[in-house]
Amino acid sequence: MAAYVGGAPAPWVTLVAQALFVVGVFLYRRAQPDPLRGTDFVGLLRRLVLGPGLLASICVGLHLLERLVQAEMPTEGRMFFALVYTINLGLFIIFLAYTNYAWRGLVMFRAAPHIIKEWTLFEVLLGVTLLFRLFTWQPVAYVSYAVVGAVGLFGVYLSGNQKWVAYLNRRQKWEIIFLQTGVLLCMGVFVIYFLRIAQDQLQMAPASQQAFLLVTVFFASFYSLMGLMVTFFNLPTAGVFEQKREEILSIQRLTQLIQKGQSQEEIYSTLFDSAVQTVNAGAAWLEVETDSGYTGQQLNISPEQSHAIKRLLHDYNLGHIEYLNNDLNHSSGFRGLQLPFASLIVMPLRSSKRRYGALYMLKDQSQAFDRESLGILQTFTSQTILSIENLHLMAASIQNQRVQEELKIASSVQESLIPKTLPTDDWFEISSHALAAKEIGGDFYDFLHLPGRRLAILIGDVSGKGVTAAFHMAQMKGIFHALMQENPLARNEREKFPVPSRFMAQANLALVHCLERSSFITAALYIIDYENGGFVFARAGHCHTLYYHSIKEEVSYFRTAGLGLGIIRNDGYEKHIKNQFYDYNPSDVMVIYTDGIVEARGADQEEYGEERLKKMLERTYYLEADEIKQQILDDLGEFSKGQPIHDDQTLLVIKFKAAQPEPAH
Amino acid sequence: MKIAQQFTDKTLTLSLDGELDASSSVLLDTELSKPDILDNEKILIDCQRLNYISSAGLGVFISHLQRFQDANTKLVFYNMQDKVHNVFEILGLDSLMTIVPSQAEAAAI
Repeated sequence: MAAYVGGAPAPWVTLVAQALFVVGVFLYRRAQPDPLRGTDFVGLLRRLVLGPGLLASICVGLHLLERLVQAEMPTEGRMFFALVYTINLGLFIIFLAYTNYAWRGLVMFRAAPHIIKEWTLFEVLLGVTLLFRLFTWQPVAYVSYAVVGAVGLFGVYLSGNQKWVAYLNRRQKWEIIFLQTGVLLCMGVFVIYFLRIAQDQLQMAPASQQAFLLVTVFFASFYSLMGLMVTFFNLPTAGVFEQKREEILSIQRLTQLIQKGQSQEEIYSTLFDSAVQTVNAGAAWLEVETDSGYTGQQLNISPEQSHAIKRLLHDYNLGHIEYLNNDLNHSSGFRGLQLPFASLIVMPLRSSKRRYGALYMLKDQSQAFDRESLGILQTFTSQTILSIENLHLMAASIQNQRVQEELKIASSVQESLIPKTLPTDDWFEISSHALAAKEIGGDFYDFLHLPGRRLAILIGDVSGKGVTAAFHMAQMKGIFHALMQENPLARNEREKFPVPSRFMAQANLALVHCLERSSFITAALYIIDYENGGFVFARAGHCHTLYYHSIKEEVSYFRTAGLGLGIIRNDGYEKHIKNQFYDYNPSDVMVIYTDGIVEARGADQEEYGEERLKKMLERTYYLEADEIKQQILDDLGEFSKGQPIHDDQTLLVIKFKAAQPEPAH
Repeated sequence: MKIAQQFTDKTLTLSLDGELDASSSVLLDTELSKPDILDNEKILIDCQRLNYISSAGLGVFISHLQRFQDANTKLVFYNMQDKVHNVFEILGLDSLMTIVPSQAEAAAI
């Protein structure tokens, strides 16, 4: 290739040293982490131009210095030239290594697995080109050209991997074009320098790894050039890509809002901003029909204009559908409005269940919206509706939870209203049973000891269920305790406590003010005087009292008249209720209950009924109160087996016993 | 629950078919809440096919009772099954409301 300077090392030494240097630099770069960070292509190229590109400047500087020295000392200092040449060659190799591995990052960007294999093969082939200069000092022309040509073609093939360009936005594409030009310039500086050196007869350049350098320079430049071209021709479509990107980002933002569960208002305003930005609307407004204060928002449009458009759409019966008009100035109705807009999209916000409002988008130019804009807005609005309905569902589930909580409270109120201990005396036995239905009916009962060996028993049932029922139960208990106070002004024993009918009339009056019109309470009050062996009771619409008369050995119902409480709301109530007096005998049995017992349903939806209850007492009257109650409950359980319990069930069994003298204290 | 309506000569007849429970009583309440219902002289309730009435169902009639009385509109039940009649009787409503055995007697009132 060239004659060598005396004293210079033998060519093979130079070549081996060069090869080792090349291998060292390339392997070092190869081992470094991928210079491409994420999708920061601009950063990658900028580092390439600023770092290794600087080397090109040094190269130029050294060359100029060399020329200067040459001009001063025409024939001296060949060693100096060789030194400059060697340094420049070293810089060039470093520059190539950087470029090569920067390109590797780009080639490998989201590449298929076979590309990765092919790249490795390309590296091996580059290594081979290093080798064959080592083994044959003078390359065998055909073989070396063929191999170099093949590797070059391989490089061309690899240069087709320019996927990364698609990820650039418009601004980045311009930057990339600028930076690629920079890289090509640096490359050019080196190439021109080496071409000059090769032609310069004065400066005998040491032997170089020509084949390797040729192939590498070719690949590096070709890839760069391809990238430049691809980027350049992609410039016109950059806007479309950016728009798509923006759409995807907007949908992502909307989706994220769903997960965060933010307020309705935030979701609507995200929709509005995203929609305006994405379709690049000149003016827009969003109309929301909600019960909250938020009604929507506007951009660049006056309320008069939006009202006029809405009225017009309504007149043409277009108010509730998707609507696209790209030529408002030639549409009869719109022309009359004198609007500064020429294109309009109306996108209703609705789900299968209801309508939430509508989104209106306007642009100054005609033909400004396309089917795609409509599609995007559709996606946006359906995402928004999804988010909004999600919010509603969440609110509903919280509400539901609160109702459950309230029911729990109502249950515990009901629980606390029912006496835990039953009155005991030698003169009677009481056994009680209370079963609350899941939804809380309104059953209650209570006892009160009155002076003079008397016992008041109140049983009742509030119509309705849940918290209201529990509340009225509590009220009824309060009325019971308040009215059953001894009257200090009473002239005789009988007037000290109200008789049951009087009690009911007073309770009715007290309840009228707080019961809803459609609610009522049934109750029965019994006052048992076990000193005199008698009782009096009144039934206010409550179930009839079942009774076993031991003298007659007969079971029957006391069928007295009596109206429920809260049904008539004037003073006339007392006319509708009667007291029943009865003198009991030992072994008599009284069964008091609520409609949950007699209205319990059997398998064929038949009710348990008064008759069945009566038959049960006929079979069990001779037993203890507890036993009677248990037998009735067992029969009821058998009857309504497998059926859900819809109403509270309360059952009291009172058995009167033979009168015994009061033990003397 | 089905409610059939028949209107003849200032008399509105509502035929109740099925069970009048908490959910179906809302339907009935809507019917009875209409303002023009008070233009009738009589409202007849045919209970032949009424199989069950819950306290919510009774509550609907109770809540409109005063309103009908004030407007001089008569509320008459007829063809009532025994078990339904029993419910009215236990609550004492038979003393407040007009319940007659047959349609002829209802029409005669």
